[in-house]
Amino acid sequence: MTTETLRVVCYLNQFFGQLGGEEKAGVEPQVIDGAVGAARAAQQALGDAGTVVATVICGDNYAAEQAERAVAEMVALVAAARPDLVVAGPAFLAGRYGVACGALCAAVQAELKIPAVTGMHAENPGVELYRRQVYIVPTGAEATRMLNEVKRLVALGLKLARREAIGAPAAEGYFARGVTRNVVAGVSAADRAIAMLLDKLAARPFASEVPRPAFPPVAAPRLVKTLEGATIALVTDGGLVPRGNPDGIEALNATRYGAYSIEGKAGLDAAQYDNPHRGYDTTWVKQDPHRLVPVDVARDLEQSGAIGKLHETVYSTVSVATTLAHSARMGAEIAEKLRAAGVDAVILTST
Amino acid sequence: MRLELRWSDVDELAAGSATRLVGRRLEVDLEALRALLSADSRLTGIRLDLVHPGERCRIGRVFDVVAPRAKLDGGEDFPGVLGGVAKAGHGRTLALGGVAVVATDQQTDSVGTLAVIDMAGPNAALSAFGATHNLVISAWPAPGTERSDYLAAVRLGALKTAVCLARTAREAEPDRVEVFALPPSPRVPPELVHLPRVAYVFQIHSHQRPTGLDEGILYGDPVRRMLPTIVHPNEVLDGAVLRGFMGRSVTTWATQNHPMIRALYAQHGRTLWFAGVVVTVAQATEPERVRSAFLAAGLVAHTLGADGAVFTKIGGGAPHVDMAQAAAQCEALGVKTTAVVEDMSTDGSAEGMLLFDFPGVDALVNVGSSQEPLTLPAMDRVVGADDLAPRLLGETRATYGTLCGAIEQVGATRVMAEVR
Repeated sequence: MTTETLRVVCYLNQFFGQLGGEEKAGVEPQVIDGAVGAARAAQQALGDAGTVVATVICGDNYAAEQAERAVAEMVALVAAARPDLVVAGPAFLAGRYGVACGALCAAVQAELKIPAVTGMHAENPGVELYRRQVYIVPTGAEATRMLNEVKRLVALGLKLARREAIGAPAAEGYFARGVTRNVVAGVSAADRAIAMLLDKLAARPFASEVPRPAFPPVAAPRLVKTLEGATIALVTDGGLVPRGNPDGIEALNATRYGAYSIEGKAGLDAAQYDNPHRGYDTTWVKQDPHRLVPVDVARDLEQSGAIGKLHETVYSTVSVATTLAHSARMGAEIAEKLRAAGVDAVILTST
Repeated sequence: MRLELRWSDVDELAAGSATRLVGRRLEVDLEALRALLSADSRLTGIRLDLVHPGERCRIGRVFDVVAPRAKLDGGEDFPGVLGGVAKAGHGRTLALGGVAVVATDQQTDSVGTLAVIDMAGPNAALSAFGATHNLVISAWPAPGTERSDYLAAVRLGALKTAVCLARTAREAEPDRVEVFALPPSPRVPPELVHLPRVAYVFQIHSHQRPTGLDEGILYGDPVRRMLPTIVHPNEVLDGAVLRGFMGRSVTTWATQNHPMIRALYAQHGRTLWFAGVVVTVAQATEPERVRSAFLAAGLVAHTLGADGAVFTKIGGGAPHVDMAQAAAQCEALGVKTTAVVEDMSTDGSAEGMLLFDFPGVDALVNVGSSQEPLTLPAMDRVVGADDLAPRLLGETRATYGTLCGAIEQVGATRVMAEVR
């Protein structure tokens, strides 16, 4: 196999770049030709496979206190050195340094399309902030085994630079990025399922192929008023839209929701509504939208005084194959609008 | 109940003056087959194409794939849909290996719900149908034919073809004979009573969309009000269960060659005792879902007396939760479970893979993400989708879900999503 020599740029803080300790934490980004300080370990790990052509150094406080500017300046310094790979850190348990390593790697990948790798301790805040975007190699808390750890970092970096396939986190040694990728397993899903069941039945350890979701529990708040004095809103993820779907709410994987006035309406006229939802049989709610959004009954309760007031806006989206991120955003936005409008409670109808 | 699948392997598929099996060469009288399919007044303009493994060809607008099978001595072929309603799963059935019947859907504009098969290139290895000789049926709806009637006719045409091809092996000495024999569930020989009893809960349809009158799924029944019920695994292997018309990431072929039932048979008497199969449907409403979940769990735990159960689903998100609810009910009754899920994330994030979190439902196998992008390389020929040929000939972006057979929810495939 022929190996071409790769151009590598290292990023270090003031301490590992040998500019000084905390008193130099405010220094602005600068570049030095070749490998200096801890970057020498990277050069040693690279051997003949690559050359550290430049070392970018930035003070921890400068990077933390004006993060956007610092990253932009460092990206410009990196770009000028035309590297094939950026190696940041390792930052061990140093928080400001770890966050800066993650931020720089993410920016270099996104803006310069150059692969980047960093390393730090599991409890470094940079891990949680950047592991989804950046390959981060786990290291110890302190720089006691620097060369060994830099070797692992460089090995993964070389694979990235050579566009080689990257294996699973446990095999390659990086923090799981929380992304999924289709691969081809050795045996069929049916065979794996039966093997896993036999393990579970025999109380042997087994490795589920799907992590349990980390849905944060949301406690329902207590209604502090009586129902007779409360304003109640109707919200649905079952796909109610006015005919013509004016907000263009997607049939699945929705990113949008609509706010629809029911002012002056005793109920919902089926002829005026539609339903684009692709996740359930919408025949019956199209026939009578009250099966999804019970405006008729709610108006009765309002009339009889059982509830104080029905909120005059119905919020609606389509919830099928919706990403958690969009669900959380839409939920927060709708909740904010309801709170601003003085709504006390919500009837959320799902399908 | 004892079923014999008498396999004849096919190496070559070619047009001929008669439909016959000559050694391992299957010759098809395409004119006669076209005439047979044209007898259905709901279809018009029938076209038949033969495609082969390794050929730089892409089949488009794929609707379903059927394995060639025919009863040898009595019994009905695809009972309740093609043949009369009669019990399947016993006797001798002819089966052709290495060849499949591919039905295409020429009516819908919404081709996003349809699939492709690549006969060469990197994607051919991801699907069973990249390695089979395929007879591709393209038929258009006769004027005035409703969608559901059209799809019923297309499927019926594929079943007729599958039977017609398999009957060529009537006189042949089979290359191998597979025997599926399972004694009545409680009769375990004393020396094997220590084996864990394992049931399979097979979700055969999802009611996210109402089934058509002609959308026969279980012995011809559109399973509109079906409650969980017990069937013999041989019935599934012998044509009693067909895929509905919205069979996302599942083919009739995979059901006829059911990987879970085969795997359970393979382990039966060795590492487990195959206790039986419960068929269910994914229900449309919460009360139906809850009712179905505890009824299925009751059959597994109390009737089949299973120690463990394995689950698969069909369709998308609601069936995924429906399956998990039934599994949770089993766990609550002390039955250990594993379930085969699809990676449901639409943005490739591990957080979105699963739409449920029930106690005990913690042993999950996955069949990959249908949303993950996939490159379809350029091909020399497109079959089954003339209207899409300009796009499907060149290199184009698609997803794993577009590739028929890459993701089979019943667990046939090796594609899986790995958390990185």
